[in-house]
Amino acid sequence: MDRLLLLLPTTTYRTEDFLDAARTLGVDIVCASEKPSTFEAHAPDHLLTLDFTDPDAAAAKVAELAGRRPLNGVVGVDDLTTVAAAAIAERLGLRSSAVAAVTAARDKYQMRQCLAAAGVPIPRFRRIALKDDPFLAARGVAFPCVLKPLALSASRGVIRANNVDQFIAAFRRIAALLQRDDVEVSGDAAQFLLAEQYLPGVEVALEGLLVGGTLHPLALFDKPDPLEGPFFEETIYITPSRLPADVQQAIERVTATACAGLGLGEGPVHAELRVNDAGPWVLEVAARSIGGLCSRTLRFGTGMTLEEIILRHALGWPIASLARERRPAGVMMIPIPRAGRLHAVHGTEAAAAVAGIEEVAITAHVGQEVVPLPEGWQYLGFVFARADTPDAVEAALRDAHARLAFEIR
Amino acid sequence: MSDDLKTKVQDLIDTMINPAVAGHGGFVELIDVQDNRVYLQMGGGCQGCGAADITLKSGIERLIKEELPEVAEVLDTTDHSSGTNPYYSAGKA
Repeated sequence: MDRLLLLLPTTTYRTEDFLDAARTLGVDIVCASEKPSTFEAHAPDHLLTLDFTDPDAAAAKVAELAGRRPLNGVVGVDDLTTVAAAAIAERLGLRSSAVAAVTAARDKYQMRQCLAAAGVPIPRFRRIALKDDPFLAARGVAFPCVLKPLALSASRGVIRANNVDQFIAAFRRIAALLQRDDVEVSGDAAQFLLAEQYLPGVEVALEGLLVGGTLHPLALFDKPDPLEGPFFEETIYITPSRLPADVQQAIERVTATACAGLGLGEGPVHAELRVNDAGPWVLEVAARSIGGLCSRTLRFGTGMTLEEIILRHALGWPIASLARERRPAGVMMIPIPRAGRLHAVHGTEAAAAVAGIEEVAITAHVGQEVVPLPEGWQYLGFVFARADTPDAVEAALRDAHARLAFEIR
Repeated sequence: MSDDLKTKVQDLIDTMINPAVAGHGGFVELIDVQDNRVYLQMGGGCQGCGAADITLKSGIERLIKEELPEVAEVLDTTDHSSGTNPYYSAGKA
Protein backbone atom coordinates (compact mmCIF):
# COMPACT_ATOMS: atom_id res chain seq x y z
CA MET A 1 0.00 0.00 0.00
CA ASP A 2 1.34 3.42 -0.98
CA ARG A 3 1.96 5.80 1.86
CA LEU A 4 1.39 9.54 1.59
CA LEU A 5 2.07 12.45 3.92
CA LEU A 6 -0.64 15.09 4.17
CA LEU A 7 0.25 18.44 5.68
CA LEU A 8 -2.96 19.54 7.39
CA PRO A 9 -2.92 22.74 9.42
CA THR A 10 -5.33 22.64 12.35
CA THR A 11 -7.10 25.65 10.83
CA THR A 12 -7.71 24.23 7.36
CA TYR A 13 -11.13 23.47 5.89
CA ARG A 14 -9.53 20.86 3.64
CA THR A 15 -8.98 17.96 6.06
CA GLU A 16 -12.23 16.07 5.53
CA ASP A 17 -12.08 16.15 1.73
CA PHE A 18 -8.45 15.03 1.55
CA LEU A 19 -8.94 12.25 4.10
CA ASP A 20 -12.05 11.06 2.24
CA ALA A 21 -10.03 10.96 -0.98
CA ALA A 22 -7.26 8.97 0.70
CA ARG A 23 -9.83 6.51 2.02
CA THR A 24 -11.37 6.11 -1.44
CA LEU A 25 -7.95 5.44 -2.97
CA GLY A 26 -6.89 3.07 -0.20
CA VAL A 27 -3.76 5.07 0.60
CA ASP A 28 -2.00 4.79 3.94
CA ILE A 29 -2.02 8.36 5.23
CA VAL A 30 0.38 10.09 7.59
CA CYS A 31 -1.11 13.34 8.93
CA ALA A 32 1.12 16.21 9.96
CA SER A 33 -0.14 19.35 11.71
CA GLU A 34 1.58 22.29 13.29
CA LYS A 35 0.19 21.35 16.69
CA PRO A 36 0.30 17.91 18.27
CA SER A 37 -2.58 15.48 17.93
CA THR A 38 -3.97 13.95 21.10
CA PHE A 39 -3.09 10.55 19.60
CA GLU A 40 0.44 11.23 18.42
CA ALA A 41 1.96 9.08 21.17
CA HIS A 42 -0.30 6.16 20.16
CA ALA A 43 0.45 6.43 16.42
CA PRO A 44 3.89 7.97 15.91
CA ASP A 45 4.18 6.58 12.37
CA HIS A 46 0.88 8.15 11.31
CA LEU A 47 0.63 11.41 13.27
CA LEU A 48 3.31 14.02 13.25
CA THR A 49 3.85 17.56 14.47
CA LEU A 50 5.77 19.76 12.02
CA ASP A 51 6.73 23.40 12.10
CA PHE A 52 5.43 24.48 8.69
CA THR A 53 7.23 27.81 9.03
CA ASP A 54 10.60 25.99 9.08
CA PRO A 55 10.60 23.87 5.90
CA ASP A 56 14.16 22.54 6.39
CA ALA A 57 13.41 21.32 9.91
CA ALA A 58 10.15 19.81 8.72
CA ALA A 59 11.96 18.01 5.89
CA ALA A 60 14.60 16.66 8.29
CA LYS A 61 11.94 15.34 10.67
CA VAL A 62 9.99 13.67 7.87
CA ALA A 63 13.20 12.17 6.42
CA GLU A 64 13.73 10.46 9.77
CA LEU A 65 10.22 9.03 9.65
CA ALA A 66 10.61 7.99 6.00
CA GLY A 67 13.84 6.19 6.94
CA ARG A 68 11.76 3.85 9.08
CA ARG A 69 8.73 3.65 6.79
CA PRO A 70 9.15 5.09 3.28
CA LEU A 71 6.74 7.64 1.86
CA ASN A 72 5.54 7.68 -1.76
CA GLY A 73 4.10 11.17 -1.87
CA VAL A 74 3.53 14.41 0.02
CA VAL A 75 0.75 16.98 -0.35
CA GLY A 76 0.39 20.33 1.38
CA VAL A 77 -3.29 21.12 1.42
CA ASP A 78 -3.19 24.90 1.63
CA ASP A 79 -1.04 28.02 1.59
CA LEU A 80 0.46 27.46 5.04
CA THR A 81 2.00 24.18 3.97
CA THR A 82 3.06 24.48 0.34
CA VAL A 83 6.70 25.41 0.95
CA ALA A 84 7.19 22.77 3.65
CA ALA A 85 5.62 20.16 1.34
CA ALA A 86 7.98 21.13 -1.48
CA ALA A 87 10.99 20.97 0.87
CA ILE A 88 9.95 17.53 2.08
CA ALA A 89 9.39 16.32 -1.48
CA GLU A 90 12.77 17.65 -2.58
CA ARG A 91 14.51 15.93 0.34
CA LEU A 92 12.80 12.60 -0.31
CA GLY A 93 12.85 12.77 -4.12
CA LEU A 94 9.05 12.93 -4.38
CA ARG A 95 6.91 14.62 -7.01
CA SER A 96 6.57 18.38 -6.47
CA SER A 97 7.44 21.79 -7.84
CA ALA A 98 10.82 23.17 -6.83
CA VAL A 99 11.08 24.80 -3.39
CA ALA A 100 12.23 28.11 -4.94
CA ALA A 101 9.21 28.22 -7.22
CA VAL A 102 6.72 27.47 -4.45
CA THR A 103 8.45 29.99 -2.19
CA ALA A 104 8.09 32.67 -4.87
CA ALA A 105 4.40 31.86 -5.23
CA ARG A 106 3.92 32.39 -1.48
CA ASP A 107 5.33 35.93 -1.57
CA LYS A 108 3.25 38.37 -3.59
CA TYR A 109 6.27 40.60 -4.28
CA GLN A 110 8.55 37.77 -5.40
CA MET A 111 5.70 36.39 -7.47
CA ARG A 112 5.18 39.67 -9.30
CA GLN A 113 8.90 40.01 -9.96
CA CYS A 114 8.97 36.54 -11.53
CA LEU A 115 5.80 37.19 -13.54
CA ALA A 116 7.04 40.56 -14.78
CA ALA A 117 10.31 38.97 -15.87
CA ALA A 118 8.35 36.34 -17.76
CA GLY A 119 6.31 38.98 -19.57
CA VAL A 120 3.05 38.02 -17.88
CA PRO A 121 0.49 40.83 -17.81
CA ILE A 122 0.23 41.98 -14.18
CA PRO A 123 -0.72 45.23 -12.46
CA ARG A 124 2.07 47.74 -11.79
CA PHE A 125 3.36 47.07 -8.29
CA ARG A 126 5.61 48.40 -5.56
CA ARG A 127 6.82 46.92 -2.29
CA ILE A 128 6.67 49.35 0.63
CA ALA A 129 8.29 48.92 4.03
CA LEU A 130 5.88 49.10 6.95
CA LYS A 131 8.41 51.26 8.79
CA ASP A 132 8.09 53.92 6.06
CA ASP A 133 5.95 57.01 6.45
CA PRO A 134 2.71 56.14 4.59
CA PHE A 135 2.19 59.75 3.54
CA LEU A 136 5.55 59.75 1.76
CA ALA A 137 5.03 56.22 0.42
CA ALA A 138 1.73 57.29 -1.15
CA ARG A 139 3.59 59.80 -3.33
CA GLY A 140 5.03 57.04 -5.46
CA VAL A 141 1.69 55.35 -6.14
CA ALA A 142 -0.91 56.02 -8.82
CA PHE A 143 -4.58 55.88 -7.77
CA PRO A 144 -6.73 53.91 -7.53
CA CYS A 145 -4.47 51.25 -6.08
CA VAL A 146 -4.79 48.11 -3.97
CA LEU A 147 -2.74 47.49 -0.84
CA LYS A 148 -2.18 43.95 0.36
CA PRO A 149 0.03 41.95 2.74
CA LEU A 150 2.74 39.87 1.07
CA ALA A 151 1.72 36.49 2.40
CA LEU A 152 -1.91 36.32 3.55
CA SER A 153 -4.64 34.66 1.51
CA ALA A 154 -8.43 34.66 1.12
CA SER A 155 -8.40 38.44 0.40
CA ARG A 156 -7.33 39.06 3.98
CA GLY A 157 -5.92 42.55 4.33
CA VAL A 158 -6.60 43.50 0.70
CA ILE A 159 -7.83 47.11 0.59
CA ARG A 160 -8.47 49.53 -2.26
CA ALA A 161 -7.36 53.13 -1.91
CA ASN A 162 -8.57 55.90 -4.21
CA ASN A 163 -6.54 58.74 -2.71
CA VAL A 164 -3.77 59.53 -0.25
CA ASP A 165 -6.05 59.56 2.81
CA GLN A 166 -7.43 56.13 1.97
CA PHE A 167 -3.90 54.90 1.26
CA ILE A 168 -2.70 55.98 4.70
CA ALA A 169 -5.74 54.41 6.40
CA ALA A 170 -5.27 51.14 4.51
CA PHE A 171 -1.53 51.12 5.21
CA ARG A 172 -2.12 51.47 8.96
CA ARG A 173 -4.89 48.91 8.94
CA ILE A 174 -2.65 46.32 7.27
CA ALA A 175 0.20 47.11 9.67
CA ALA A 176 -2.19 46.52 12.60
CA LEU A 177 -3.53 43.33 11.01
CA LEU A 178 -0.02 41.88 10.76
CA GLN A 179 0.35 42.38 14.52
CA ARG A 180 -2.73 40.31 15.37
CA ASP A 181 -2.23 37.12 17.40
CA ASP A 182 -3.96 35.07 14.70
CA VAL A 183 -1.56 36.22 11.97
CA GLU A 184 1.68 34.28 11.67
CA VAL A 185 4.04 36.04 9.29
CA SER A 186 7.77 36.49 9.50
CA GLY A 187 10.65 37.87 7.44
CA ASP A 188 9.69 40.17 4.56
CA ALA A 189 6.01 39.35 4.99
CA ALA A 190 6.10 40.99 8.43
CA GLN A 191 8.02 44.05 7.23
CA PHE A 192 6.52 45.00 3.87
CA LEU A 193 3.25 45.36 2.06
CA LEU A 194 2.47 45.51 -1.62
CA ALA A 195 0.77 48.40 -3.42
CA GLU A 196 -0.43 47.69 -6.93
CA GLN A 197 -2.49 49.28 -9.64
CA TYR A 198 -6.25 48.67 -9.32
CA LEU A 199 -7.49 47.02 -12.48
CA PRO A 200 -11.13 47.31 -13.49
CA GLY A 201 -12.74 44.22 -14.98
CA VAL A 202 -14.31 40.93 -14.10
CA GLU A 203 -12.49 38.40 -11.97
CA VAL A 204 -12.06 34.68 -12.57
CA ALA A 205 -10.28 31.79 -10.86
CA LEU A 206 -8.58 29.01 -12.74
CA GLU A 207 -8.02 25.65 -11.12
CA GLY A 208 -5.35 23.58 -12.76
CA LEU A 209 -2.95 20.68 -12.42
CA LEU A 210 0.67 20.88 -13.51
CA VAL A 211 2.16 17.66 -14.82
CA GLY A 212 5.72 17.71 -16.06
CA GLY A 213 5.56 21.48 -16.52
CA THR A 214 2.34 21.41 -18.57
CA LEU A 215 -0.73 23.12 -17.17
CA HIS A 216 -3.93 21.12 -17.43
CA PRO A 217 -6.86 23.48 -16.77
CA LEU A 218 -9.42 21.70 -14.58
CA ALA A 219 -12.05 24.40 -14.14
CA LEU A 220 -12.51 28.10 -14.80
CA PHE A 221 -14.75 29.87 -12.31
CA ASP A 222 -16.59 33.14 -12.88
CA LYS A 223 -16.93 35.42 -9.86
CA PRO A 224 -20.18 37.22 -10.70
CA ASP A 225 -20.22 39.56 -7.70
CA PRO A 226 -18.32 42.78 -8.45
CA LEU A 227 -14.94 42.95 -6.73
CA GLU A 228 -14.32 46.69 -6.73
CA GLY A 229 -13.37 47.32 -3.13
CA PRO A 230 -12.80 48.76 -0.69
CA PHE A 231 -12.46 45.10 0.39
CA PHE A 232 -12.42 42.12 -1.93
CA GLU A 233 -14.70 39.54 -0.41
CA GLU A 234 -15.06 36.43 -2.54
CA THR A 235 -18.57 35.09 -2.54
CA ILE A 236 -19.85 33.19 -5.59
CA TYR A 237 -17.80 30.91 -7.85
CA ILE A 238 -19.52 29.40 -10.91
CA THR A 239 -18.14 26.94 -13.44
CA PRO A 240 -18.09 26.63 -16.40
CA SER A 241 -17.28 30.25 -17.13
CA ARG A 242 -19.71 32.28 -19.21
CA LEU A 243 -16.88 34.24 -20.83
CA PRO A 244 -16.37 33.79 -24.60
CA ALA A 245 -14.28 30.79 -25.62
CA ASP A 246 -11.42 32.92 -26.96
CA VAL A 247 -11.20 34.82 -23.66
CA GLN A 248 -11.14 31.54 -21.73
CA GLN A 249 -8.34 30.29 -23.95
CA ALA A 250 -6.39 33.49 -23.35
CA ILE A 251 -6.84 33.04 -19.58
CA GLU A 252 -5.45 29.51 -19.83
CA ARG A 253 -2.49 30.64 -21.94
CA VAL A 254 -1.60 33.49 -19.58
CA THR A 255 -1.90 31.22 -16.53
CA ALA A 256 0.35 28.63 -18.15
CA THR A 257 2.94 31.33 -18.87
CA ALA A 258 2.66 32.53 -15.27
CA CYS A 259 3.26 29.02 -13.90
CA ALA A 260 6.29 28.63 -16.15
CA GLY A 261 7.55 32.07 -15.14
CA LEU A 262 7.40 31.07 -11.49
CA GLY A 263 9.06 27.74 -12.24
CA LEU A 264 6.08 25.71 -11.02
CA GLY A 265 6.04 22.32 -12.69
CA GLU A 266 4.07 19.79 -10.67
CA GLY A 267 0.87 19.72 -8.66
CA PRO A 268 -2.26 21.81 -8.20
CA VAL A 269 -2.41 25.52 -8.93
CA HIS A 270 -5.09 28.07 -8.16
CA ALA A 271 -4.84 31.29 -10.16
CA GLU A 272 -6.83 34.52 -9.82
CA LEU A 273 -7.09 36.83 -12.82
CA ARG A 274 -8.77 40.07 -13.82
CA VAL A 275 -10.15 40.30 -17.33
CA ASN A 276 -10.85 43.56 -19.17
CA ASP A 277 -10.65 44.94 -22.69
CA ALA A 278 -6.85 44.57 -22.63
CA GLY A 279 -7.19 40.84 -21.89
CA PRO A 280 -6.41 38.72 -18.81
CA TRP A 281 -4.14 40.00 -16.02
CA VAL A 282 -2.70 37.66 -13.43
CA LEU A 283 -3.31 38.70 -9.81
CA GLU A 284 -2.17 35.55 -8.01
CA VAL A 285 -0.90 32.04 -8.71
CA ALA A 286 -0.89 29.76 -5.69
CA ALA A 287 0.79 26.35 -5.69
CA ARG A 288 -2.21 24.69 -4.09
CA SER A 289 -5.79 23.78 -4.84
CA ILE A 290 -8.86 25.96 -4.29
CA GLY A 291 -9.50 26.91 -0.66
CA GLY A 292 -12.36 26.40 1.77
CA LEU A 293 -14.82 23.68 0.87
CA CYS A 294 -15.10 25.04 -2.69
CA SER A 295 -13.59 21.95 -4.32
CA ARG A 296 -16.88 20.17 -3.63
CA THR A 297 -18.23 21.86 -6.75
CA LEU A 298 -15.86 19.80 -8.88
CA ARG A 299 -16.18 16.26 -10.18
CA PHE A 300 -14.05 14.71 -12.88
CA GLY A 301 -14.39 11.75 -15.22
CA THR A 302 -16.74 9.28 -13.60
CA GLY A 303 -17.02 11.15 -10.32
CA MET A 304 -13.47 11.63 -9.12
CA THR A 305 -12.94 14.49 -6.66
CA LEU A 306 -10.28 17.16 -6.99
CA GLU A 307 -8.52 15.74 -3.95
CA GLU A 308 -8.36 12.27 -5.52
CA ILE A 309 -6.71 13.80 -8.58
CA ILE A 310 -4.18 15.65 -6.42
CA LEU A 311 -3.31 12.53 -4.41
CA ARG A 312 -3.04 10.39 -7.54
CA HIS A 313 -0.73 12.95 -9.11
CA ALA A 314 1.47 13.15 -6.01
CA LEU A 315 1.78 9.37 -5.97
CA GLY A 316 2.45 9.14 -9.72
CA TRP A 317 -0.70 7.08 -10.23
CA PRO A 318 -2.57 7.22 -13.55
CA ILE A 319 -5.50 9.64 -13.80
CA ALA A 320 -8.19 8.38 -16.16
CA SER A 321 -9.65 11.78 -17.00
CA LEU A 322 -9.10 15.40 -16.09
CA ALA A 323 -12.34 16.43 -17.80
CA ARG A 324 -14.80 18.11 -15.45
CA GLU A 325 -18.38 16.90 -15.51
CA ARG A 326 -20.50 18.93 -17.95
CA ARG A 327 -23.17 20.05 -15.49
CA PRO A 328 -22.68 23.64 -14.27
CA ALA A 329 -21.87 23.98 -10.59
CA GLY A 330 -21.14 26.69 -8.10
CA VAL A 331 -20.45 27.62 -4.53
CA MET A 332 -21.20 30.59 -2.37
CA MET A 333 -18.80 31.37 0.42
CA ILE A 334 -21.10 32.94 3.00
CA PRO A 335 -19.54 36.23 4.03
CA ILE A 336 -19.42 37.57 7.57
CA PRO A 337 -21.56 40.72 7.53
CA ARG A 338 -20.23 42.23 10.76
CA ALA A 339 -18.02 41.52 13.74
CA GLY A 340 -19.42 39.84 16.82
CA ARG A 341 -20.29 36.46 18.19
CA LEU A 342 -22.47 34.08 16.20
CA HIS A 343 -25.59 33.56 18.27
CA ALA A 344 -27.86 31.58 15.95
CA VAL A 345 -28.35 30.48 12.36
CA HIS A 346 -31.83 30.38 10.80
CA GLY A 347 -33.16 29.19 7.49
CA THR A 348 -30.78 26.36 6.65
CA GLU A 349 -33.64 23.98 5.77
CA ALA A 350 -35.31 26.62 3.60
CA ALA A 351 -32.00 27.31 1.87
CA ALA A 352 -31.36 23.61 1.27
CA ALA A 353 -34.85 23.27 -0.22
CA VAL A 354 -34.10 25.65 -3.09
CA ALA A 355 -34.06 23.80 -6.41
CA GLY A 356 -30.49 23.08 -7.44
CA ILE A 357 -29.00 23.43 -3.97
CA GLU A 358 -26.96 20.35 -3.05
CA GLU A 359 -25.60 21.29 0.33
CA VAL A 360 -25.68 24.06 2.89
CA ALA A 361 -22.63 23.68 5.13
CA ILE A 362 -22.52 26.08 8.07
CA THR A 363 -18.93 25.92 9.27
CA ALA A 364 -18.94 28.68 11.89
CA HIS A 365 -20.16 27.44 15.24
CA VAL A 366 -22.57 29.09 17.61
CA GLY A 367 -20.59 31.11 20.11
CA GLN A 368 -17.72 31.70 17.68
CA GLU A 369 -16.28 35.17 17.36
CA VAL A 370 -16.63 36.16 13.72
CA VAL A 371 -14.51 38.82 12.07
CA PRO A 372 -15.34 40.32 8.66
CA LEU A 373 -12.80 41.36 6.05
CA PRO A 374 -10.27 42.79 5.84
CA GLU A 375 -9.13 41.48 9.26
CA GLY A 376 -11.07 38.19 9.10
CA TRP A 377 -10.23 35.06 7.14
CA GLN A 378 -13.15 32.74 7.77
CA TYR A 379 -16.62 32.25 6.33
CA LEU A 380 -19.91 31.48 7.99
CA GLY A 381 -20.27 28.52 5.68
CA PHE A 382 -20.67 27.37 2.10
CA VAL A 383 -23.66 26.76 -0.18
CA PHE A 384 -23.31 24.41 -3.16
CA ALA A 385 -25.49 24.18 -6.25
CA ARG A 386 -25.75 22.30 -9.54
CA ALA A 387 -28.18 23.13 -12.33
CA ASP A 388 -28.64 23.04 -16.10
CA THR A 389 -27.05 26.44 -16.73
CA PRO A 390 -24.54 28.69 -14.95
CA ASP A 391 -27.29 31.33 -14.64
CA ALA A 392 -29.53 28.83 -12.86
CA VAL A 393 -26.68 27.90 -10.51
CA GLU A 394 -26.11 31.55 -9.65
CA ALA A 395 -29.84 32.16 -9.09
CA ALA A 396 -30.08 29.13 -6.79
CA LEU A 397 -27.10 30.27 -4.73
CA ARG A 398 -28.51 33.78 -4.35
CA ASP A 399 -31.96 32.48 -3.44
CA ALA A 400 -30.52 30.08 -0.86
CA HIS A 401 -28.34 32.78 0.67
CA ALA A 402 -31.32 35.12 0.93
CA ARG A 403 -33.12 32.50 3.03
CA LEU A 404 -30.31 32.29 5.57
CA ALA A 405 -30.22 34.57 8.59
CA PHE A 406 -27.31 34.84 10.98
CA GLU A 407 -27.74 36.39 14.40
CA ILE A 408 -24.44 38.04 15.27
CA ARG A 409 -24.31 39.97 18.55
CA MET B 1 -20.91 -11.26 19.41
CA SER B 2 -21.88 -7.62 18.82
CA ASP B 3 -22.50 -7.06 22.55
CA ASP B 4 -19.15 -8.57 23.34
CA LEU B 5 -17.46 -6.33 20.78
CA LYS B 6 -19.40 -3.36 22.10
CA THR B 7 -18.06 -4.01 25.57
CA LYS B 8 -14.50 -4.20 24.26
CA VAL B 9 -14.87 -0.97 22.31
CA GLN B 10 -16.37 0.77 25.32
CA ASP B 11 -13.45 -0.42 27.40
CA LEU B 12 -11.00 1.07 24.86
CA ILE B 13 -12.89 4.34 24.89
CA ASP B 14 -12.81 4.50 28.67
CA THR B 15 -9.19 3.51 29.17
CA MET B 16 -7.37 4.92 26.13
CA ILE B 17 -9.43 7.13 23.86
CA ASN B 18 -11.16 9.48 26.27
CA PRO B 19 -8.07 10.05 28.41
CA ALA B 20 -6.27 11.11 25.19
CA VAL B 21 -8.90 13.48 23.79
CA ALA B 22 -9.54 14.93 27.24
CA GLY B 23 -6.30 16.84 26.71
CA HIS B 24 -8.20 19.01 24.22
CA GLY B 25 -11.42 19.12 26.24
CA GLY B 26 -13.01 16.42 24.11
CA PHE B 27 -14.80 13.16 24.69
CA VAL B 28 -16.09 10.26 22.62
CA GLU B 29 -19.28 8.27 23.13
CA LEU B 30 -20.04 4.86 21.72
CA ILE B 31 -23.39 4.96 19.95
CA ASP B 32 -23.57 1.41 18.61
CA VAL B 33 -21.74 -1.51 17.03
CA GLN B 34 -23.45 -3.11 14.03
CA ASP B 35 -21.95 -5.63 11.62
CA ASN B 36 -18.49 -4.91 13.01
CA ARG B 37 -18.93 -1.21 12.32
CA VAL B 38 -18.42 1.07 15.28
CA TYR B 39 -20.57 4.22 15.45
CA LEU B 40 -19.16 7.02 17.58
CA GLN B 41 -20.11 10.52 18.55
CA MET B 42 -17.59 13.18 19.47
CA GLY B 43 -18.27 15.93 21.97
CA GLY B 44 -16.66 18.84 23.81
CA GLY B 45 -13.54 20.15 22.09
CA CYS B 46 -13.79 17.44 19.40
CA GLN B 47 -17.24 18.50 18.18
CA GLY B 48 -16.70 20.80 15.21
CA CYS B 49 -12.93 20.73 15.66
CA GLY B 50 -10.89 21.30 12.50
CA ALA B 51 -8.77 18.28 13.39
CA ALA B 52 -11.63 15.94 14.33
CA ASP B 53 -11.21 13.87 11.15
CA ILE B 54 -7.52 13.38 11.84
CA THR B 55 -8.27 12.35 15.42
CA LEU B 56 -10.94 9.93 14.26
CA LYS B 57 -9.21 8.29 11.31
CA SER B 58 -5.53 8.43 12.23
CA GLY B 59 -6.02 8.15 15.97
CA ILE B 60 -9.21 6.51 17.16
CA GLU B 61 -9.93 4.18 14.24
CA ARG B 62 -6.32 3.06 14.00
CA LEU B 63 -6.20 2.32 17.74
CA ILE B 64 -9.49 0.43 17.72
CA LYS B 65 -8.51 -1.67 14.70
CA GLU B 66 -5.12 -2.49 16.18
CA GLU B 67 -6.67 -3.65 19.45
CA LEU B 68 -9.77 -5.21 17.88
CA PRO B 69 -8.89 -6.43 14.34
CA GLU B 70 -12.46 -7.67 13.83
CA VAL B 71 -13.66 -4.05 13.60
CA ALA B 72 -14.22 -3.18 9.93
CA GLU B 73 -14.80 0.56 10.18
CA VAL B 74 -15.28 3.38 12.65
CA LEU B 75 -17.93 5.91 11.68
CA ASP B 76 -18.48 9.38 13.05
CA THR B 77 -22.14 10.29 13.66
CA THR B 78 -21.35 13.67 15.21
CA ASP B 79 -23.21 16.79 14.13
CA HIS B 80 -20.05 18.86 13.95
CA SER B 81 -21.95 21.99 12.90
CA SER B 82 -23.53 22.06 16.36
CA GLY B 83 -20.23 22.11 18.20
CA THR B 84 -20.01 25.17 20.40
CA ASN B 85 -16.46 24.90 21.68
CA PRO B 86 -14.21 23.21 19.10
CA TYR B 87 -10.54 23.02 19.97
CA TYR B 88 -9.46 24.20 16.50
CA SER B 89 -11.53 26.29 14.07
CA ALA B 90 -11.06 26.28 10.31
CA GLY B 91 -10.30 29.26 8.09
CA LYS B 92 -9.91 29.57 4.33
CA ALA B 93 -6.48 29.50 2.70
